[in-house]
Amino acid sequence: MSDAVPQNAGYMVAAYIVAAVILAAYAASLYRRTKGL
Amino acid sequence: MTLAQKGRWTTGVGLVLLAAVYVRALAFTPVERLQGAAQKIFYLHVPAAIWTETAMVLVGVASIFFLFLKDSRLDSFAAASAEVGTAFATIVLTTGPIWGKPIWGTWWTWDARLTSTLFLFFLYIGYLLLRGAVLDPGVRARYSAVLGICGLCLVPFIHFSVYLFRTLHPMPIILKPSSPSLPGNMLATWLFSLAVFTILYVGFVMQRYALVRAREGAQHV
Repeated sequence: MSDAVPQNAGYMVAAYIVAAVILAAYAASLYRRTKGL
Repeated sequence: MTLAQKGRWTTGVGLVLLAAVYVRALAFTPVERLQGAAQKIFYLHVPAAIWTETAMVLVGVASIFFLFLKDSRLDSFAAASAEVGTAFATIVLTTGPIWGKPIWGTWWTWDARLTSTLFLFFLYIGYLLLRGAVLDPGVRARYSAVLGICGLCLVPFIHFSVYLFRTLHPMPIILKPSSPSLPGNMLATWLFSLAVFTILYVGFVMQRYALVRAREGAQHV
């Protein structure tokens, strides 16, 4: 059995980008909708 | 300062702190030996999942009180919490498969936890569609409250599905009766992330609630 750590950082980067895009897009959407309030 | 402005400031603070979570998780938290770097998805996926479920619990509780008290502020809060819960559910349902591919070898499997979480997402979408489809405010609030209570009933099933069924999804390693099975450094990162997601939920709901109240005020004029 290999002791090497799995090389899957690409998936981690993808997940972090996806989460950031969703949160930033939703924050921007709320900012646009509530700008006059 | 209005509620919407307070919400924008809270959201801004939350987004800055989210950047700090990214730095801490990616640069200062050790890589798990068996899962590799993909394990770090956990620091976003689990806090988002907790707030996906909590947001629906709050929708359901507000809905129950609305049916008794007929206070439109409770309906407005439920509407706000549902939309924010949908955003967090989207994070859960995208980051989960991205973790599943390298760890399980598949993007998706129809096991109890994943399927019930997908069902919760569809329930959120249905809730938002219902609110958009019914024009009469009183009828809309009553119908939405019933659907919100259905969502509340679904949440315990989702949380305990890993105990009730044989699933691929990992068992809880933090939210369980015994102490968390996570090293201190990783636990600190996770708690930091959970706190930031809490701030983001509060900031989002403040803005969305202010928007619902403003629209309802405009309808009554």
